[in-house]
This record gives sequence, structure tokens and C-alpha cells, in this order.
Amino acid sequence: MGKGQAERLMPLIAEVIADGGRTLEDLDAIGVGIGPGNFTGIRISVSAARGLALALGIPAVGVSMLEARALDTPHPSLVSVDARRDHLYLQRFGPGADLGPDLVAMNAVAAWACPGLSVTGDRAEEIAAVLGATPMPCPDNPTPAIARLAAARFRDPALPRPAPLYLRAADAAPARDGGPMILPR
Amino acid sequence: MPLPLTILGLESSCDDTGAAVLRRDGDRAVILSNVVASQTDLHAAFGGVVPEIAARAHAEKLDIMVEQALAEAGVTLPEIDAVAVTAGPGLIGGVLSGVMAAKGLAMGLGKPLLGVNHLAGHALTPVLTDGMRFPYLMLLVSGGHCQFLRVDGPQEFRRLGGTIDDAPGEAFDKVARLLGLPQPGGPEVERAAKSGDPARFDLPRPLMDRPGCDLSFSGLKTAVLRARDDLVAAQGGLSEQDRADLCAGFQAAVADVLAGKSARALEGQGALTGFAVAGGVAANATFRARLDAVAAAAGLPFVAPPLALCTDNAAMIAFAGLLLHEVGQRDDLTLSARPRWPLDTAAAPLIGSGKKGAKA
Repeated sequence: MGKGQAERLMPLIAEVIADGGRTLEDLDAIGVGIGPGNFTGIRISVSAARGLALALGIPAVGVSMLEARALDTPHPSLVSVDARRDHLYLQRFGPGADLGPDLVAMNAVAAWACPGLSVTGDRAEEIAAVLGATPMPCPDNPTPAIARLAAARFRDPALPRPAPLYLRAADAAPARDGGPMILPR
Repeated sequence: MPLPLTILGLESSCDDTGAAVLRRDGDRAVILSNVVASQTDLHAAFGGVVPEIAARAHAEKLDIMVEQALAEAGVTLPEIDAVAVTAGPGLIGGVLSGVMAAKGLAMGLGKPLLGVNHLAGHALTPVLTDGMRFPYLMLLVSGGHCQFLRVDGPQEFRRLGGTIDDAPGEAFDKVARLLGLPQPGGPEVERAAKSGDPARFDLPRPLMDRPGCDLSFSGLKTAVLRARDDLVAAQGGLSEQDRADLCAGFQAAVADVLAGKSARALEGQGALTGFAVAGGVAANATFRARLDAVAAAAGLPFVAPPLALCTDNAAMIAFAGLLLHEVGQRDDLTLSARPRWPLDTAAAPLIGSGKKGAKA
């Protein structure tokens, strides 16, 4: 979904809760996708989740798309999310194999190889071919995995508030005109 | 007498993240808290507000500001009767974050959501601060806006004129940058102007020779740039006095234009209760004095709300939301954030009049 997320999100939440035969008051926590991905999209989800969590007096748990995709893949696993412009957001999961998350050019993925690796996510087949790894499918809908990870984490007393995971700096250049030389008296 | 009502307001349309709690108490509305987190430091290196940086900061600050506003007000969330939020016009990333946070709050509390026009928030502030009665003339003059509004009611605005290019606050920032002064430029240029000679440089008074109340500040900024470059070419740089004189000349030109156009806007408006000003540029003491004199010449009281309520804040959004609530407006959870949202939809567009319509 491109446009219209901001308009659609809250009615969708109401529908999903009703479909589950529950009410908002039944919730113990809110899991929210924090990206990486479209900056505006992840701000929409995170802002709404933080507002809703505050109103309900329950924790909101930020879960990245990379973590959600890694949940049911055999480790060590390399997870990718398309970052456009021939780049990927990558994260590697597994005992002794944790790496990232990071923004990586497609032609630089070779550095992410490790023995016994499975690859899942966007362009998994291509990446697996470069690394000599095994491509694995991942579910189209990450929200069940986000909810399961949130369920595992929400009692953590040190849980941070969810924040968008951008992995790309804001596109801005410092002002060029530094002003004129000021002459001494 | 209106019912007691407690409104939570949120504002995030530019570079200030604000939250406020306001209570209707009989005929009065009382600000219980009004907190603002400024992003000035985040944008300082860029010589202006960077939309993506602003959006990032708002998204991680709004709920924290709401908690702070509630704590300062001594009000708990269940006591909130409605959530009012700036739904435009402004930088869309920030507006969206505010709208989504407000939707989450309204949904979780089971209370009404009120989408407020940021300009209406400014324009209605004199009613909140000074009990001003309709109709009055408002000059909204800030870093992003400059327009004359005739305010006839909480939802009745007529734009009599406005800037066709830059807003004055934006021009102050650019002039400060041209002259090597820090950002934000308004207070810096005003300070430097104090020791300057406003008559040394012959700067234009744009659009004063044309009828109507439209304004322009872009050419004035270019004239300052030319004068600066002439000085640099002649002497290799600027002296402190050159800079002070340029600041004083620029400020005097803006003051002449604002005062002259204000006088024109007041002409032929029939019975008004007063002339009010709002927006960050209203902090400038020279402008306040000139506008006060214009109002006095027209036999009207001049109202300038306290600075904290002139600049972007959430109390004004809560108040505009309160007035909307009292006339029965309710928004649902499909409320859209609008980068463009002119208050007066009947007036001809001044800026951004492409296929997407007028900006403000």
C-alpha cells in the first residue's frame, strides 16, 4: 500500500481486534514495525503505536522488519529488505554470527557470507547466489511475527519506546554561504 | 454557559513539538499547561528547517511532550474530553506524526478527535488571551506565513492579502545568513539593527506602489544581498557598522511594508473590534510599535498575545479545537494530514497555486 496508510491504519486496527474477538482494553502490549523502509510509513506506524500505548497505559514494542523476517528462518540467517537504488538493508542472525543492521550496496553483499547461511527477504535468490548460501522464503505479512516478538519482549523493564529504524541519514547538506568576512575595527 | 471541557492539544507542523492541556471554565478557557520542545539546535547547521530532520524529531517526541503537559496540568488521560491536533498546513512529515499520535490517543481513550488548521490556531489566539470578540483583523506573520485575515468567527476567515513569495521570518533568516549572523535570524537581525542607521542603504518597499494588501519580501532580501556584495567588492568584507546598518535598513523596510499594508487592510472593513498580530515575527519590538500605531490611527485596540502564544504552540491548537468541538465538529480516525490547507478557500491562491491548490 502506497498512499492512504495514515487514513487506513486506525480502522484496520479496529477491524483486526474485532476479528480476534477482543477489545482494545484486552491488549497487554502493542508490537509495531519500525522499518527499515519508507520513512513516512514507519513514522505513521510508530507515532500511532506510541499514542495508542500512552492512552491504554500499556507498552509499545518496536520490532524491525529484519527481526520479523528472521523469526522462522534457520540460523545463521541473512535477512534483507530492499532499500532501492540497488541497495539493501541487511542483518545477520545466529549464534556468533550477529551482524548489522546496515545499509549495503548490492555489489558489496559478499562481505556478509558465513558458513551454513540461509538468506531470506527481498532479492534473497540473488544474494544467496553471490554468497553460495541457501535462499529461504519469508511470509508476505510480517505482522504475526511482529506480534510474537512483541509478546516475548514487552515485560522487559528496560524496554525503550519504539523508534523508527532509518539506517539512512536525512538528506540534508549544511548551508554553503558562511557569510562575509567581518572586518576588524 | 458552555459545558466544562478539557482538551489535549498537539502541534508539530514545523520545528516545534508542542502539547497543551486547556480547560473550558464558564466563559473562559484556561491554559493548564503548554509545553514546547524546540528543534532549533537540530537545524542550526543547515541554515533552515530540514523537513526530514524535523519529522524524525517529532515522531520520537510527541508522546513525551503529552506526558509532560499532562503532568504539568495535573490532569490524567481519562479526564481528557477530546484530542485536538494540527492537521495542516505545514511540513507533512511532522503533521503526519502529530495526526497519527493524536489518532492513537483518541482511539485508546475513546474520545473525539479534532483536526485543527494551524493558521486558525494562530488566528483565534487573541480570543483565548485577550477575550477578543469577532470580527477583528489579524496579521499572521511568522517564519512560514504572512497574511491578513478578517476573523468573523471560529470557522469564518477571509484572507484580505498575503505574501506572494517569502514569509518575513524566512527573509530574516536569509538576511542573517547573508550577513554571517546565527540562526534563527529574527532576534539576531533585530539586535544588530539597534546600533544601525536605517537610512544608510536605500532598500525597496516591495508592492507598496500596488493596490491591495499583498506583500513580497523576496526582492528585499536580494537587495540586501546586492548591497552586501557591493561592500565586499569595495572593501573585502563588512564592518560591524555595515552589518548593523544593513540590518536596520532591512528591518525598517519590512516595518514600512507591514505597517503600510496593515493600514490598507483596515480600510473599509467597517466595525472591527481590534487589530491583532500573531506569529514569531510579532516578537520584533519595532514591528509591534509600528503596528500599534497603525491600530491607534484607525481607532482600534492593538492586541499582541504573549510571545509563547504568538509562536507555534499547542495551546492555540487546543483552543481552536475547543471552539470546533463547541460547534459540533468531530473528526473520525481517517482524518488526513494536509500539507496545504488554506483557511479561506474562496480567496485566490497566492503561493503554490499549481494543480495541488493553494498552500495556505
